[in-house]
Amino acid sequence: MEFFPLGNAELGIRTFLTSVHANDQCGSDGLPLTPNSIKVFGRFQQLKDITHPNLCRYVDIARGKHERLIVVQEHYKTSLATEANSGIYSCISTVIRLAYQILQGIDHLNRQGLVHRCLSPKAILIDGVGCAKLTNFGLYTMTDYGTSVDFPIGSPSYLAPEVLASGRLPATLQLLSSPKTDVWSLGVILLELLLGIELWSKLNMASMLKQVICLLQSHEPVQDIAHSHGVLEKLKNVPSSLLDLLTKCLTVKANSRPYPSDLLQHPVFAEEQLAKVPSINGLHLFTGKLRCRKLELPPVNDLLAEGEEAEDMPTDYLAERGMDEVYYLWSLAGGDLENELSKRGMIKKKPPIFMQPNVVLQNGEPFGQEAHRSNTLDETVVCLSLDTLKDRLKEVHPSIYFPLLEELKPVLPMSPSMSDLSATATLPLIIREKDIEYQLHRVVLFKRLLEGYPYKRSQIWREARVDIPPLVRPYVWATLLDIEGDVRACYDAIDKRTATATDRQIEVDIPRCHQYNELLSSPESHGKFKRVLKAWVISHPQYVYWQGLDSLCASFIYLNFNDEALAYACMTNFINKYLHKFFMKDNAAVIQEYLAVFSHMIAFHDPDVSNHLDTIGFIPELYAIPWFLTMYAHVFPLHKIFHLWDTLLLGDSSLPLFIGVAILKQLRTNLLSFGFNECILVFSDLPEIDMEKCVQASIHFFRSTPKSATFRQHARPKTKGEKSGEGRALYTKDALPLADSEGERCAPVSARDLFEPWCGSRPPRPPPADPPPARSTIQHPARPGALPVLVIDVRLSEDYLRGTVPGAVNIPFASAFSPDGGLVSSSAVSQLYAHRGRLVVVVGNRGNHAAQFAGELVAIGFSKVCVLHNGLDALKSTGLMSVPRPEI
Amino acid sequence: MAGRGTAQRPNGAGAAGKICQFKLVLLGESAVGKSSLVLRFVKGQFHEYQESTIGAAFLTQTVCLDDLTVKFEIWDTAGQERYHSLAPMYYRGAQAAIVVYDITTQDTFSRAKTWVKELQRQASPNIVIALAGNKADLANGRMVEFDEAQAYSEENGLLFMETSAKTAMNVNDIFLAIAKKLPKNDQAGGGAVGQGGSGSRRLDEGGAGSQGSTGKCCK
Ligand SMILES: Nc1nc2c(ncn2[C@@H]2O[C@H](COP(=O)(O)OP(=O)(O)OP(=O)(O)O)[C@@H](O)[C@H]2O)c(=O)[nH]1
Ligand SMILES: [Mg+2]
Repeated sequence: MEFFPLGNAELGIRTFLTSVHANDQCGSDGLPLTPNSIKVFGRFQQLKDITHPNLCRYVDIARGKHERLIVVQEHYKTSLATEANSGIYSCISTVIRLAYQILQGIDHLNRQGLVHRCLSPKAILIDGVGCAKLTNFGLYTMTDYGTSVDFPIGSPSYLAPEVLASGRLPATLQLLSSPKTDVWSLGVILLELLLGIELWSKLNMASMLKQVICLLQSHEPVQDIAHSHGVLEKLKNVPSSLLDLLTKCLTVKANSRPYPSDLLQHPVFAEEQLAKVPSINGLHLFTGKLRCRKLELPPVNDLLAEGEEAEDMPTDYLAERGMDEVYYLWSLAGGDLENELSKRGMIKKKPPIFMQPNVVLQNGEPFGQEAHRSNTLDETVVCLSLDTLKDRLKEVHPSIYFPLLEELKPVLPMSPSMSDLSATATLPLIIREKDIEYQLHRVVLFKRLLEGYPYKRSQIWREARVDIPPLVRPYVWATLLDIEGDVRACYDAIDKRTATATDRQIEVDIPRCHQYNELLSSPESHGKFKRVLKAWVISHPQYVYWQGLDSLCASFIYLNFNDEALAYACMTNFINKYLHKFFMKDNAAVIQEYLAVFSHMIAFHDPDVSNHLDTIGFIPELYAIPWFLTMYAHVFPLHKIFHLWDTLLLGDSSLPLFIGVAILKQLRTNLLSFGFNECILVFSDLPEIDMEKCVQASIHFFRSTPKSATFRQHARPKTKGEKSGEGRALYTKDALPLADSEGERCAPVSARDLFEPWCGSRPPRPPPADPPPARSTIQHPARPGALPVLVIDVRLSEDYLRGTVPGAVNIPFASAFSPDGGLVSSSAVSQLYAHRGRLVVVVGNRGNHAAQFAGELVAIGFSKVCVLHNGLDALKSTGLMSVPRPEI
Repeated sequence: MAGRGTAQRPNGAGAAGKICQFKLVLLGESAVGKSSLVLRFVKGQFHEYQESTIGAAFLTQTVCLDDLTVKFEIWDTAGQERYHSLAPMYYRGAQAAIVVYDITTQDTFSRAKTWVKELQRQASPNIVIALAGNKADLANGRMVEFDEAQAYSEENGLLFMETSAKTAMNVNDIFLAIAKKLPKNDQAGGGAVGQGGSGSRRLDEGGAGSQGSTGKCCK
């Protein structure tokens, strides 16, 4: 996460059309080819990460109709094209500085493996302080070197001779341009500045090329060009070192032309090199880089002076925010890119009836369609107006921009318009995500907190519990997953190339994984999928690739598209936390146990559904494996997974079980009326699930379930800090043989859960996890009285009278049920009915009477029934049992 | 994976009627087009980005045979070898199986043969097995010869067709051929195998079997 304030930049948009595949064109697999717009969409993403003081930042890309793409980039209204004749560049040192800045920009691109390839005065913007910023440098790269579009890239008079020479070839046959092509363009630009004319402006490409080639024989190409344009005398004032630079740039033979990095060392830049300021250490999360090794704090005096100045200067707080943020808010304020273009007449909308072809051949080829695609590039840049946004935010109190993090209980800042930010926090999530002011507040707050990660971990957890703004989700998730350290180095060290046995499976799964999504269906994304999955399989020898891992990986790739290492790290930690052992080669026992606990939870929270599904033989094995194996990533579209996992990440590994129960609960009316076939059809094609309700319900179920009820032997063992002290054996559920709990209707709970809610002297608690406050913010209740429990002792009354759990009532199993399955009435049974809907724990001896009794309770519709694990025998020696008070 | 239970609903009453219900399972290597075939048969659609199957998916479809309506309960299984241990849960009690391979990959054909063997050994003795050489639209990339597959099918008493879920070629036909071959009287079928695995089941019209998917009838 890096922070680049908007400053005095604008957000500019450009648009272009990609080439369209012929109607019936198929790949070798018989499936339609990936549309070029999708390809470009994927290739574009890397550009968003390119940041340099001499490069305009790319902010976003969007796909429009008819293979149209719209690119959002940092923009300035002035460019070299508008300023060339302003007189500024009559000063030689200004030209030299300009050249140096351009070269630095290009050199940075080269280091990222990019070539500008359409450098021209229009592509060199001048920011408010006269600094050159290259723009449109990604066009060549994102269009796959021009192969995805029909128009040529670059304006002819600035193109290097080797590019011009291949100009007539289709883009697919051209050689890739080297960084040296930009050096030529720079030469032309500089020479034009010095001569004050446009070169070759009256010539067509062929004659221009001819003139250029003739320069091969020239000893003084620069002079010759000036001469041929009749402006030789203008070169007189140009210092010889600058002339030398120009000569080097305008070397016709690409082989002998220097690279941009070479030119940066040219003596003409001696002064510039001295004045060069190292770029500021940005904030990089999740790297091994030291954040503040080179950090120099400004002297206190300066700070004070600045502070005073700020007093009477009204500040544009929005301009201080990151470009991505401003754009995000602009979109929330109703901004629509396609609409901006139509307003300027750059997209002509026609009623569809006018777009119909006259004749269509059988193979789908249309004729007589009015051409609505143009083969040339419209270079217009449209600036997005921030007025609406600013207007919407004008009431916002400045304190929203500068939240204080140190207050113990954060109070939402008050602003005249929004004393009700806290009220907004209670609105439905979909509304909150569309509320500009609320999102501004949340994004600013989260960015501050993220900058303080890992120290601000607990606060991030607390805020994430309210909601996670989509803009910062990738980083928030990473922090919730406890990512730390140098993820890049770890990832880079993994071999992602060597062929393995699972490659085929991975390869056939990727093109079927969330492909409705434009980002994930791009070839760029497929490569990332493959590398991340291979990396995971290779570095987890205890696990293997199971179909479904691809779905699991999808949201991490989507969110961290430009950071595979982080995507990999997140996926790894996610699997460790929620899917421990699930991907073992033989995972039968693990899955079986998980599904058994799931069945218990259905019975615990919805006995009716549990009874019905049991009767029709609709077992979780038939529908829930993809749910749990992919943590629902295979069953829901991405936008739903995001909201689901926003919550999932805050819970422990049992939360997914409750999500499953919540889904059944949402479908219960249908399920209850359906037979086997209809039920299973429901799950083969899951109907719309209200995610927010589902999430709320699952939190509710999670909280109203005793912790030990979801105990799993195969769950990840607790880490050291979490281990409890003495008394553990007594109070926790030890590994119980699976056969024990399987097949029984009710979840067994530990004695600890039985005693904790109301027992005066609580058993020793595990020491608080270290580092301090609770990592898991959704917690099971621990407070006395949180779960009022009715304990039912089902042993014979003699046994009961000799000693039982304090407060237990006695319903001996042998005489509890009448032949028709109902409970035989007694005072204890009335107590049980009065307690209906709250926690019931059935206790007995080691035999299975307790389990049977509990099962019967479920069968007659009692919810929240569990059984004391290991029975009362286990408690006998503890002194926790007491003689029941005689009934009066 | 979890191997208990069986994907067979308890049998309904065997009252006389005009609908015959059969359980059919699709088996075969991953990505050969099992789900695509089912989707084509049930909904008449083809999704080029058909999602991979995890565990299994279930769909139903009805075909008409003269005066008889045959309702298929289709279990579409996951193809990855690892999910193999789940398969018996789905083919147990099935009266029909379509084993699918991809004509452009030899390996998928070998895998299909393995499935056939397993079915012959472990499924209902009277199970009707069909072999489908899918992706027949990709004739240019053919790696498995038609004759080879046909010879194999004859040896093993399988129905055989080359199909294409993409162009719909032979998709309805293969299901129809299976429907024709299935025994329609109560005594027949794999009555002896598995829990709840028994022969065809007759349901009253408008009974439990007439939800959702509207029957598509062949002429
Ligand atoms: N050209 C062509 N492609 C097909 C055909 N049938 C399926 N496909 C494609 O092959 C890929 C795999 O198809 P699926 O139906 O998902 O395969 P599957 O056998 O169900 O795979 P698993 O669920 O992994 O076992 C998809 O991309 C389909 O679009 C066909 O007949 N012709
Ligand atoms: Mg499938």
